[in-house]
Amino acid sequence: MSTSEPTLLALDNIGISFGGLRAVDQLNLEVKKGQVVGLIGPNGAGKTTVFNIITGVYKPTDGRVLWKGEAINGLPPYRVAQRGILRTFQTIRLFSGMSVLENVLAGKHLRTRQTWWAGLLSTPAQRREEKQLREECMEILKTLKLDHVANEVATSLAYGIQRRVEMARTLAASPELLILDEPAAGLNDNESAELNKTILDIRDSGVTVLLVEHDMNVVMNVTDHIVVISFGRKIAEGEPESIRNNPDVIEAYLGKDDDEDEQEAFA
Amino acid sequence: MDIFLQQLINGLTVGSIYALIALGYTMVYGILRLINFAHGDLAILGAFIGLTVITGLAGSGGAPANWIVIVAFVLAVLVVAIAGVLLEFTAYRPLRNAHRLSAVVSALGASMFIQNGIMLIWSPQTLTFPEGIMPQTTYNFGSVVISATQIFIVTVSLLLMLALYLYVNKTRFGTAIRAAAIDQDAARLMGINVNKVITSVFILGPALGAIGGLFIGVYYRQAVFDMGWIYGLNAFIAAIIGGIGNIPGAMIGGLLLGLFSSLASGYISSTWQQAIVFGLLILILMVRPTGILGERVADKV
Amino acid sequence: MKLSVNRNIGAVVWIAGLLVPLVASNSWISILSIFAIYAVVALSTDVVLGRAGMYDMGHAVYFGVGAYVTAILNVQYGVPILWTMPIAVVVAAIVGMVLAAPMVKLRGDYLLVATIGFNEIFRMILINDVGGVTGGPDGIFGIGVPSVFGYSISSQEGLFVLNWLLLGIALVLMNNLDKSRLGRVFRYLKEDELAATTLGVNARYYKILAFGLGAGLAGAAGTLFATQLATVSPSAFVFMESVTLFAIVIVGGQASIPGVLLGTVLMFVVPQVFRDLAEYRYLVFGLAMIVVMVLRPQGIWPRRNRPE
Repeated sequence: MSTSEPTLLALDNIGISFGGLRAVDQLNLEVKKGQVVGLIGPNGAGKTTVFNIITGVYKPTDGRVLWKGEAINGLPPYRVAQRGILRTFQTIRLFSGMSVLENVLAGKHLRTRQTWWAGLLSTPAQRREEKQLREECMEILKTLKLDHVANEVATSLAYGIQRRVEMARTLAASPELLILDEPAAGLNDNESAELNKTILDIRDSGVTVLLVEHDMNVVMNVTDHIVVISFGRKIAEGEPESIRNNPDVIEAYLGKDDDEDEQEAFA
Repeated sequence: MDIFLQQLINGLTVGSIYALIALGYTMVYGILRLINFAHGDLAILGAFIGLTVITGLAGSGGAPANWIVIVAFVLAVLVVAIAGVLLEFTAYRPLRNAHRLSAVVSALGASMFIQNGIMLIWSPQTLTFPEGIMPQTTYNFGSVVISATQIFIVTVSLLLMLALYLYVNKTRFGTAIRAAAIDQDAARLMGINVNKVITSVFILGPALGAIGGLFIGVYYRQAVFDMGWIYGLNAFIAAIIGGIGNIPGAMIGGLLLGLFSSLASGYISSTWQQAIVFGLLILILMVRPTGILGERVADKV
Repeated sequence: MKLSVNRNIGAVVWIAGLLVPLVASNSWISILSIFAIYAVVALSTDVVLGRAGMYDMGHAVYFGVGAYVTAILNVQYGVPILWTMPIAVVVAAIVGMVLAAPMVKLRGDYLLVATIGFNEIFRMILINDVGGVTGGPDGIFGIGVPSVFGYSISSQEGLFVLNWLLLGIALVLMNNLDKSRLGRVFRYLKEDELAATTLGVNARYYKILAFGLGAGLAGAAGTLFATQLATVSPSAFVFMESVTLFAIVIVGGQASIPGVLLGTVLMFVVPQVFRDLAEYRYLVFGLAMIVVMVLRPQGIWPRRNRPE
């Protein structure tokens, strides 16, 4: 991946405190157009907090979030989404009781023109748009092999399928930057291999991807660039190969953290 | 200045009653996240039971003996505590895993049931308490009058609150109550019998509420079947002002609300007193919805 | 397509209802009239509570605003009844949005308590005759009869048709809501506000809009309520009425059109019919609320997830 591509997203000296706890500190991070960037680090390193800052769920205590050069920190989440930054959640957040299709239609919110009164009056244009939206969503479901469950209640499906539905929902919004929070968590080996392919397909379709992941199989196979954080600070960054052999990274995972999964991940 | 002091004394009295009733709201909310709309009616049930005991044992004429008043309080507490446990068992427990609003509607139904039950058993009219239940002594400081009843109500309320505070903070079972309020599932995993905690909260809350209700009866010397709603609502507002789910918060909120509404009726308008109280509530919700001492409920992303 | 089957059954039932005056006595016609009005208010409560998921326990305020706007404009200024309806709708909607604006950010229970507060303050404004236009505790008497194209509608049958038409309009609107982005956004916000906002939903805008729509529809019902009774008084818009509306939605089934209609029958019409129970009425009523919730926590006729 060429590094001459323009920078889409940049975190400029971001920091956030909760009470006395410094969850993220002086973090700089850059995501270039077309890249797949991995954000990794031991449990509690502050990875999800970084995502919450980028998407406007948290306001950083200091520093700036730059989107194509424009500061977007402090904007509410819906305005961040309007700029083309969409995310999934570590704990899947599908709309319970609603069908897979209805969930994916949520992603179309920003791509929908009908006004609220057109909806209440059910105008012909509104009905046409509804029909078209459904067709577009079915297309997305097909590409993610979810079309057979389109009318099932989303939250009643298997975990791995729910993750894919959440991804379909964000894709429906035609994101420029897709932020995936542990997309492989809870997936079996087959599903996680499939995920690798899906992420690369997404990248090839022109969407930039930023992801947090513990599954090193996924991280090493799909990312172009990796940023490692520990205790809210960046400790390393670079190509997957260089990260794999970085002594600081190995210490952060093995030395200070005795989580068995992490050890296996690097073994 | 004298008016101010007098309103302060009156407000403190009403406020300590609000605080007693508020504790029941806040304990139930702290553990079940449920607004127990029937709680105010349970408190007033205490007033009616006390009234029946007093008039029944003392007969007509003459001040009731001290032991009769004590029996009245004890019976009110017992009956209302049993009613509280029954209420939880029949109307709330089956709905513990249901949508939150199902339990709210069940609570509203229970409130209606208790209120109209009181009306059918006692009377649709306002009933008066006999004279002389409390010592008639008053103390005058300039033009400020403090009655022995007021001193009694404030003292007993404060002692009860202190006792509850110590119970919840210093005993083993109190720790279990606090643990269940923070995280029911974690408490269960730690071997705490959460059902027992919930039952205990539906004993303690209504018991304190019954005392508060009977205080209202002997202080104003009257009781009417539907007054649980307004006293309950005020006590609930007190719980929110202090920080719902927070036990010391309910105590502080109750006292503050009593003082505030008493001063509002003395200085601004007694007609608009209740509207002013709601105005204060809405203001607090806008500025600091978690109340003075904050609450235990936190949203997690 | 289950959806259209339900809708066709609904349309048939509505038309059949329109023919009831041909066979029923006056007392039944007036009960059905009241049902239609309260059904509209209940559907409007459902917009806020059942669909957008905001705990609104003060919905009688907007119903009352509509009724008083019609009463004041008609009695004091001689505005024809049907002309007052759009004004009632707009005023109620504005009141709803203005009250909601600072409150929609609050978590469920706080909003619930705030709306109870609104209802109590509204009652006190009516009783204390603020501005000298509400008529105090007695309310306003002598509201006129509506006229359509010069024909006065003074009979029970005529008023019934008017009420039934508004119910029909409300049902069509609710049905359209189910199939539009607006209706879906309400559900997204209800199920998971954070997820919805990260998908670009401006939660504040849509929540205030939900209050505006719910309040506006309640305002329209208020106009017909004032017309039906020819009088308005504070007691029809007190907290207990809001509680009943709240309970209709939860007992019937949130966001379920047949559920809300059934809830209205149970909570408003059945008590009208069984007036013989007299003082036992509310005891039984309260007990029934508990029993229904325990037996059917999702409501009597919950919304089904209909395949599309």
